[in-house]
Amino acid sequence: MNIDSLNTSRFLRNDFKPRLARCELIAVTPTSISSDLEFRNWILKQPEGETLLRCYQCGRCTSACPIAEIDHSFNPRLFLEKVILADESLAENQLIWTCLTCEQCEVRCPEHVKIPQILILAKVRGLVSGNTPETALDRARSILSQGRTIQVSEPMLKTRDKMGLPSLGNPPVKQLAKALKELGLAEKLENIKSIYGGDGDE
Amino acid sequence: MGDTVVVVGAGLAGIQVSHQLADLGLKVHLVEKEATVGGLSAHLGKVFPTDDCALCLDACEELFSGHHRRCQYRSLLGNQKKLNLHTLTEIKSIKQDGGRFSVSLKTTPRYVMLDRCVVCLECINVCDVEVPDEMNLGRVMRKAIYRSIPQGVPLAPVIDMNSCTKCTKCVDVCKVGAIDLEQRSKTRTIKADAVVLATGVEERSPSILPGYAYGLCKDVLTQRELARLLDSTGATNGKVLTASGKQVESVTMILCAGSRDLNAIDYCSQACCTYSLKHAIMLREQGVGVTICYMDLRVPLHSHSFLERARESDVTFVRGKPDHVIVHEGSPVTIVEDTEALKRLEIESDLVVLASPLVPHAAEKEVFNSFLGDYGFAARHDAPKGIYACGTATGPTDIPASVAEANAVALEVYMALKGGA
Amino acid sequence: MSKAIEYTYFPGCMIPFRLPHFELTMREVLSRLNIELVADEGHSCCPEPTTFTGVDFEAWLTVGARNIAVSESTGRDTMALCSGCFHTLAMVGHTLQSDSKTRERINKRLKRIGMEATGEVTVKNILHVLHEDVGLDKIRKSIVQPLKDISIAAHYGCHLVRPIEATHMDDAEDPMWMEDLIEVTGAKPVDYPDKMACCGAPISPSDEPKSFVLAADKLRKIRDAGADAIVLVCPTCYTQMEMQQKKAIEHLGPEFSLPVLYLGEMMALAMGMSDLVVNNARRYHRVKLQPLLEKMGVGK
Repeated sequence: MNIDSLNTSRFLRNDFKPRLARCELIAVTPTSISSDLEFRNWILKQPEGETLLRCYQCGRCTSACPIAEIDHSFNPRLFLEKVILADESLAENQLIWTCLTCEQCEVRCPEHVKIPQILILAKVRGLVSGNTPETALDRARSILSQGRTIQVSEPMLKTRDKMGLPSLGNPPVKQLAKALKELGLAEKLENIKSIYGGDGDE
Repeated sequence: MGDTVVVVGAGLAGIQVSHQLADLGLKVHLVEKEATVGGLSAHLGKVFPTDDCALCLDACEELFSGHHRRCQYRSLLGNQKKLNLHTLTEIKSIKQDGGRFSVSLKTTPRYVMLDRCVVCLECINVCDVEVPDEMNLGRVMRKAIYRSIPQGVPLAPVIDMNSCTKCTKCVDVCKVGAIDLEQRSKTRTIKADAVVLATGVEERSPSILPGYAYGLCKDVLTQRELARLLDSTGATNGKVLTASGKQVESVTMILCAGSRDLNAIDYCSQACCTYSLKHAIMLREQGVGVTICYMDLRVPLHSHSFLERARESDVTFVRGKPDHVIVHEGSPVTIVEDTEALKRLEIESDLVVLASPLVPHAAEKEVFNSFLGDYGFAARHDAPKGIYACGTATGPTDIPASVAEANAVALEVYMALKGGA
Repeated sequence: MSKAIEYTYFPGCMIPFRLPHFELTMREVLSRLNIELVADEGHSCCPEPTTFTGVDFEAWLTVGARNIAVSESTGRDTMALCSGCFHTLAMVGHTLQSDSKTRERINKRLKRIGMEATGEVTVKNILHVLHEDVGLDKIRKSIVQPLKDISIAAHYGCHLVRPIEATHMDDAEDPMWMEDLIEVTGAKPVDYPDKMACCGAPISPSDEPKSFVLAADKLRKIRDAGADAIVLVCPTCYTQMEMQQKKAIEHLGPEFSLPVLYLGEMMALAMGMSDLVVNNARRYHRVKLQPLLEKMGVGK
C-alpha cells in the first residue's frame, strides 16, 4: 500500500499529550540495540524457544521473581523484551546467571512463556564471550572427562564401602565423547576464559 | 405455531427480552432463581454509560439515551398480563417434545404470599433474628425476614428459613395473612414454543487464585464487593471503610486478576475495565487515592468518558500485571512492575480490589449443558431450533450490548413464532 | 516376604559420593517397604540442570538422552534420589516425548554409540515411589517409633516439582506429598509462607551473597512458623540449607540454627532405625541434631 495515498490528517491529534516521560526506556530504543535477528531466530528454533512470542510484556514475571525482589536491576520482563527486539547484548549480561531457574515466573506467567528456558538459551549464547561462571565451566569439563560433576576420591569410595553401599563403576566417558563430538564442546571449553574469575567448584 | 416463551434469568437482558416479547403479544414466563430480579446489575450500585442507579433498574429502550430511566417497581414487570414472573424458581429440565418444549420448574417457598402482601414491612420490624447481610459483605445485619434490595421487584420480603426460628411474630403482626411458614416447594411444567437463556454471569471467586491474598486479608475485595461498599444505600451509605472500620484513604486495583491468564480464565471479561474506572472515579470523589494496575485498558467507545474522567481526576495508572499481594501489618501490599518506568513497586494501600473474571451462571447447572459452548457460555449459533440466548449468557459484555442483544433475540423469536414465513 | 519390587536407581554425583547417608538411609527405608534399588554402571552425570544447561543446552539434552536410553534398556521404572537428576531426566524425557524434531536430532547422535532414546521410560522421584507407588497406608504400618511432639517443615525445592508437565507432581504452587509423609511418621507438618521459595543454591556459582540472602530468608520464615526441623529431598538444597546454614544466616543478623533432615533420615527415625542417623549425624550434619533427637526420645 502506498502511504502517500492515505489520508493521514485524521490521525493527527494536536491535543495529544504523552502522560509519562519515556526517557527511562533508552535501554531499548533502536539506537542502543546491537540488533541481531540471527540471535532471536536461533532462540525461536530451540526447544520451547517459540513460547517467547506469546509474551505480551505484562511484567508479572518481574513481580513474581525472588531475585528481582532483592536486585532491582534483575528484570525478567526486560530480558524477554530484549530477545523479542533481537538485542543480543543480553547474552553478555552477567545478570542472566543470577536466574535461579526456580520457575516461579513461569508458574505465574499468564501465557506460559518458558522464561527460565529462554534465559538458559541466552546463557548458551554467552559462552563464547566468557559469560559463564568458572564453576559452571569446571563442572562441564568434569562431566566430559569423568562423566561426573565431581572428582570421585579414594576416601569417598571407602566410605561407600564401609556403609555397605554397592559400587557404581565408572561412567563410559568415551561413549559420551563420541556422542557429543559434533557439538565441539570439549574444544570450546579449552579456550573459554570466564569473565567471572573465581576458584572453581565448591 | 404456539406463542409461549420461557425466558431463563431476570437480569437486564432477560427483563428486556421479556418486555419486548410481551409487547409483541407473546406469552412470556420469566424465570428467576433469586427472590428479586435484576441479576448482577442489582449489585453494582451505578451502571455505565449513564451512571444510573442500578439497584432496581429496569431494562428499557431509553436506558442509554441519557435522559430517561425506568425503575422496576414502576414498570409493568410485575403486572403485565402477558408476562408471568416466577421468582425463587429454577429450571429442573427442558425436554424437546415434538416442535415444542416441556420446561419443568421448581419454585422454592418465599413464605410470603405475593398476592396478599401489601409491603407494609411490619413483619421485618417485629423479627428478632439478626444475621449478617450477605448483600453488604456481612458488614451489617439483616433480619430473618428481609428484602435484599429495598426496591427490588417483587417488593414483598422473603424468609430465610435457615435462620428463622418460627417464633411466628411476623405471622401474628401481618394484618393481611400473607405469611405462611409452612409453604412448600412447587413444581410445574410449562409447554413452551421457545426458550431464551438469559442466565447471565457472576464474578468468579478469586479464592482459588494463588497470589492475591483474597480470603487471607479482608481488605482484598472484588469489584462487585467494592460496588456494595460504594452503594449509597449500603452498609455505610456509600462511605468506603476497611473491614476494621477505618476510613479508606488509598485503593489499589488489579485488573485482569485471573482473566486473560492460561492458569485461570483465558478470555477477556470486557466489562471490568470500565466498571473499575467507574469505581475509581467514585472513590476519587470521596478523596480516596486510587492506583490502577493494568496490562491494557479495554474500554468501549461508548464508555470512553470514564477513562477520560479517571485521568482528569488523578487516578494513578501503572502498566503492569501484579504477581501477588502480601499482607503487611494487616494491610495489603501489591507487588507489581511498573513496566513503563522499569521499576518494581510495592504499593501499600488500605484496600486492594480485584477485577475478577465474569463466568457463566448456566455452566453450574447440568440442565443447560447441552446448550452451552466454550467456557460454558451459551452458543449464539448452532443452538437447537427453538433455543435462544442473549445477554451475558452468550459471553461477558456490558449492559448496553446485553440489552441490544436482547432486542435482537426478541425479534428473532417473534419472527420464528409469528413471522408467518 | 514376596519378591522385592525393583527400580533402576539413578545415583548421580552428589548423593553417592558427597552425601552417602542419603543413599544409605533411603535404601534401608525402601528395603523395609520391600523395594530394591538396582544401579546400572552405564549411567553418567545426569547432567546437572542448573549450570550445564547454560553452557551447552544441546549437550545437556544429548547426555540426558543417553542416560534415558540406558534406563530404557533396563526395562524397569527409573528412580532418581537427587532432585537435580530427577529434573534433568524428567525434562529430557518429556522433551523427547513431546518434540519429535528434537528426538530425531538427538537420536542421530546416540546412533553413533549404538543407542536410542524414546522418552517413554517412567522417571520417578522418591515422592512418587513413596507416596504413589507404596502408598501411605503401607508406610504407616512400618512406623514403630512415631515422631510425636515434633513439628517439621517440608522444603520441596524447585527442581523436584517444576515444571509440573514434566515432573508429574501433585501441584506446582502447593505440593502436599511431603506433608503427608511427615504426618505418617507421627510428626506435625508445619506450613510456612512462600513454601515453594528457592533455597538460592543455583546462583551460588555466580553470586554467592544473593544465594545466602534467599537461604537465610527461607530459614527465618520456617523458624518463625515454629518448626523443630526441616525435611527435604534435594542434596543441593541440603548443601545450601544445612552445610552452609551458618554462613547464610550470618547475612541476616540474629543467629539461630535449625536442624535439617533428609527425607530418608526422618523416615528411618520413625521406622526405628535411629542408629543409621545417629552414627552419621556428626559427619554429615553441621547443625547439631542432638537436641532434636532428644526431643524425639532417640539417642543419648
